[in-house]
Amino acid sequence: MTRTSKWALSIVLLAVVLVMLSPILWLVSTSLKSPAEMASFPPSWWPSAPRFANYTDAIRQVNFVGATQNSLTIAFISTTLTTLSSAWVGFGFARLTAPGKKQLFVVLLATMMLPGIVTLVPTYLIFAKVHMVNTYWPWVAWGLGGSAFLIFLFRQFFAGIPREMEEAAIIDGCGYVGIFWRIFLPQSWPVIAASVILSFTHAWGDFVGPAMFLSQDSTTLAVAMATGYVNDKGLPMNNLVAAGAVMYVLPVLVLFLFMQRRFVSGFSTSGIK
Amino acid sequence: MTSALTEVRRREAPAEAPSADRRKKPPSLRKARTFYLFVAPWIIGFVALTVFPLGYAFWLSLTDSDGLSPRTHFVGFDNYVEIFKDPLTLSSLGKTGLFALVTVPLSILAGLLLAVMLNQPIKGRGLLRGLIYLPAVVPPVGAALTFRLIFDRDAGAANGVLSGLGANPITWLVDPNVRYVLYALVLWGCGGSMIISLAGLQDIPRELLEAAQVDGASYWQSFTRITVPLLSPVILFQVITGVIGSLQSFAPLLLSSGSLSGAGTVPQGNYLYMIHVFAQYFSASRFGYASAMLWMLFAVILLVTLVIIKVSARTVFYTVEPGGQK
Repeated sequence: MTRTSKWALSIVLLAVVLVMLSPILWLVSTSLKSPAEMASFPPSWWPSAPRFANYTDAIRQVNFVGATQNSLTIAFISTTLTTLSSAWVGFGFARLTAPGKKQLFVVLLATMMLPGIVTLVPTYLIFAKVHMVNTYWPWVAWGLGGSAFLIFLFRQFFAGIPREMEEAAIIDGCGYVGIFWRIFLPQSWPVIAASVILSFTHAWGDFVGPAMFLSQDSTTLAVAMATGYVNDKGLPMNNLVAAGAVMYVLPVLVLFLFMQRRFVSGFSTSGIK
Repeated sequence: MTSALTEVRRREAPAEAPSADRRKKPPSLRKARTFYLFVAPWIIGFVALTVFPLGYAFWLSLTDSDGLSPRTHFVGFDNYVEIFKDPLTLSSLGKTGLFALVTVPLSILAGLLLAVMLNQPIKGRGLLRGLIYLPAVVPPVGAALTFRLIFDRDAGAANGVLSGLGANPITWLVDPNVRYVLYALVLWGCGGSMIISLAGLQDIPRELLEAAQVDGASYWQSFTRITVPLLSPVILFQVITGVIGSLQSFAPLLLSSGSLSGAGTVPQGNYLYMIHVFAQYFSASRFGYASAMLWMLFAVILLVTLVIIKVSARTVFYTVEPGGQK
C-alpha cells in the first residue's frame, strides 16, 4: 500500500469510528441536559451547563439500587453455574467415551441453532404452574444446564490437553472428578475468563427473561431502564432515561475496554472455525 | 500400575467374559458411566428446559387455553389453520421477512467492507477495530433507549441535524418512519459481523494472494476470485444466524413501550412476528394460538435454515469437507 492510500484509509476509518460512537456521545450529552434544555428546539449538541443532578435523580426515580442488586445476583448465579456446569460437561465430551456420545454431541451442536425464544415462553408457563416465577430458581436451573456454546468451547480446549496428564493422574489413583477438578479446570482459565465475560454480559443485558419471570419490584436493571422513567403524565423523562442508560451500559463498556483484545480476537469467532 | 486401572479391568471382566482379547475391548462400562455422570447436567437441562417446554407448547397449541380458566378444550389443529387466515399474523410474517431481507445483507456487507479495510496494515488498527465493534456489546435495552433519544421528535439529534440543514423535523418513532429507526439500530451493531469476517480474512493463506499478485492479478480480481470464495462459509454462517436472529427479533418492543404487555401497541411498521406472539400471550391471553405461532416459527426457522444450506451448497466453497476434521 502506498502512503497516500494508507492515509485515505485511515481517514475513512476514523470517520466510521465517529459515526459508530456518535450515538453514545449523544446519550452522554442528553444525560447532562436540564429539563429546560430538553424542551428547546433545535436541541443543543452539548449542554451549556451540565446538570449532574440528573444522575442522582435517575437513581431515585426508579429503584436503581435494588434493581442493580437483582441484576448482579442474577448475573452472579448464571455466570458461576453456567461456567462450572459447561466446563464439567465439556470435560465429559472431551475426555471420556461411551456409546451414544457421537449422537449426543450432534444434538449439542444442533441446540446452538435452536431458537431460544421459542422455548422461553412455554418455560415461563411451566415455572408459573409450579410457582417458581418471581424467584431466582429459573436462573439456577438454566445455569446448571450449561450453555451449548460454552460446553463446545470447553470441549475444544480440553480435547487439546495431552493424554499423558490424565494417565499419570490415573496411575496416581485419581478419579475423573479429581482429574477434572485438580488438573483440567485450573488449566482452562482462558476459557473460564471467556465464559465468565460472555455469561455476565448476557445476564446483564437480558430483557425478556426478567421481564417475564420477575415482578416489577424484584426485576433487573435492564427492565427498570426500559420502563421506569416516565412522569405522572406518562411521558418519558428523556434526560433521566439517558442518565440511567449511561449507568446501566457503563459496566459492560468498561469490561469490554479492559478485555478488548480477548473480545476482538478470541471467542467471538471460536464457534465457527 | 495400581488401583484405578486394575480395578477397571476387574470390574468389567465378568460382563465381557466371552471376549478373547481383553485389551481391544470397547470403552469400559465404568468409563461410560463416568461419561454420563459428566454430561448429565446438560442432558437433564436439555430435556427439562428445551424438550419439555417445546412439548408443552405443542400440547397447548392444540387447545384454546387462555392460561387462566381451568377448563381448556382440545381444538385439534384449528390454531394452525387460523395462522394462515389471520391477516395480522400473515402481515407480521411479511414484515419480518422484509426486515431480514434489508438488515441481514446490509449488516454482512458493511461488516465485510469494514473487515477488509481493517485487515490492511495501518497504524492503530487494533484500537479502530475495538471502537467500531463497541456498539455490538452495548446491551439491547441500552442501544434501543439510545436510538429512542436520537430519533426523538424534539430533543433528538436526527431532527437537530435536519433543522441545521434547513429541513422540517420528522416524527421518527411512529409509522411509517419507525422502521428506518429499527434498521439503523440493527446496522449499528454491524461490528459483530465485521469481527467474524475479519477472522475469516485472517484465515486465508497469504501465499495464495501473493501468488495471484505475482501472476499479475489486480486487487479486485484477487478479492473476487480468492477472498470471496474462501470467505463464503463464513458468510453463509452469518446469513443463517442473521436470518434466525431476525425471525426471533423483538427489538421493536424495546424501541416502543419497553414492556411485554405493551406488545400490542408497537407501531404497524415494526409489528414483527415475535411482537405479535408476545401480544397474543401477554395482551390477548390466547395461549393456545400463541403457542401454535411459536411452533410455526420453529418450523419456519428450520425450513429456512435447510433451504439456505441447500441453495448455497453450489456456491459455498469449503477448503475441507463440511463434516470432516480440520
